[in-house]
Amino acid sequence: MKRLPVTVSILAAAVMATSSYAGGDAIFQKDCADCHYTVGPAREKTISDQLAKKGPELWYAGSKFQKEWLLSWLQDPKPIRPMKYNSLTEKNPADHPKLSAGDSAAVTDYLMGLTSADVKAGVIKPKKSAKGRLIFTKKMPCSGCHQYPARKGKIKGGLSGPSLVGASKRLNPDWVYAYLMNTKVFKPVRDMPDFAGVLNPKAMEKVAAYVAIFK
Amino acid sequence: MRTLAVMIATLVSLTLLAGGTVQAAEDKQLFEFYCAQCHGLTGKGDGPNVTKDFKTDPRNFTSVADMEKLSDADIKNVVMDGGAAVSKSELMPPWGKTIAEADVDKLVAYVRKFCKCKAKGK
Repeated sequence: MKRLPVTVSILAAAVMATSSYAGGDAIFQKDCADCHYTVGPAREKTISDQLAKKGPELWYAGSKFQKEWLLSWLQDPKPIRPMKYNSLTEKNPADHPKLSAGDSAAVTDYLMGLTSADVKAGVIKPKKSAKGRLIFTKKMPCSGCHQYPARKGKIKGGLSGPSLVGASKRLNPDWVYAYLMNTKVFKPVRDMPDFAGVLNPKAMEKVAAYVAIFK
Repeated sequence: MRTLAVMIATLVSLTLLAGGTVQAAEDKQLFEFYCAQCHGLTGKGDGPNVTKDFKTDPRNFTSVADMEKLSDADIKNVVMDGGAAVSKSELMPPWGKTIAEADVDKLVAYVRKFCKCKAKGK
């Protein structure tokens, strides 16, 4: 008889977990799916396909983002891109919808469940790497399009790409590495160059580890 | 009979014109997607990435003096292999793994139109 309450508790927990996930999916479809798609693989085949999108694809969100960051950002979204998505003339209007704490938790659970098999866990450890810094700031054009925290608290870098300020909290370093290694899987059409064949895997590891310390 | 010939000629002209317009729109889209973030929508080297920290002045494609010094092959090389490969700024990315070579050729032709000038060696 003692087992019954335990079984009931486990069942209740399972039902709650399932309903939370399902709730997140439903909230997402209602509030977010106009701008973001969540079913992979990538759909874009032409530049026009990319330009038709209102926001980034999220079918690998669970591999890309850190859960704590996502949970908090959905409740108080601050611009990640200095420019409006797909625009070179308009600044980011900072008008991303906010979710309540409850909806944010449900949507975070849903999005964190969307992962990519191309992202291997535990490969990249955040590291203040001189080589990574050299590649990012001097050898390669990364800073031309991405803002990053430079020395003495300054923020430097171009405005057309997503800012990498705060990447240590926002991005999964393993995703950054996978994205560099195999860009086309995630974004077949993009205005960021494919560095496969330009940088070797070791150099990409260094860059990913360096980006992973950006505060 | 003459009316028919005129109609056919008009139709052919319109079709060619439409084809040319579509091609021009595609070339413009290529430029605006891959190049304008640094070189600017009008090619003056003033795209949104060019903040006060930007380490170099992106090429101003409207400058006849600058553009006449470059052959089309020079432009193609820098697009494909990046600035560092030709002793220019590393902020010019290597696009060879990203943009199809045929599209790079279209970009070279598009960029050349900004200065309305002849390429070096032509």
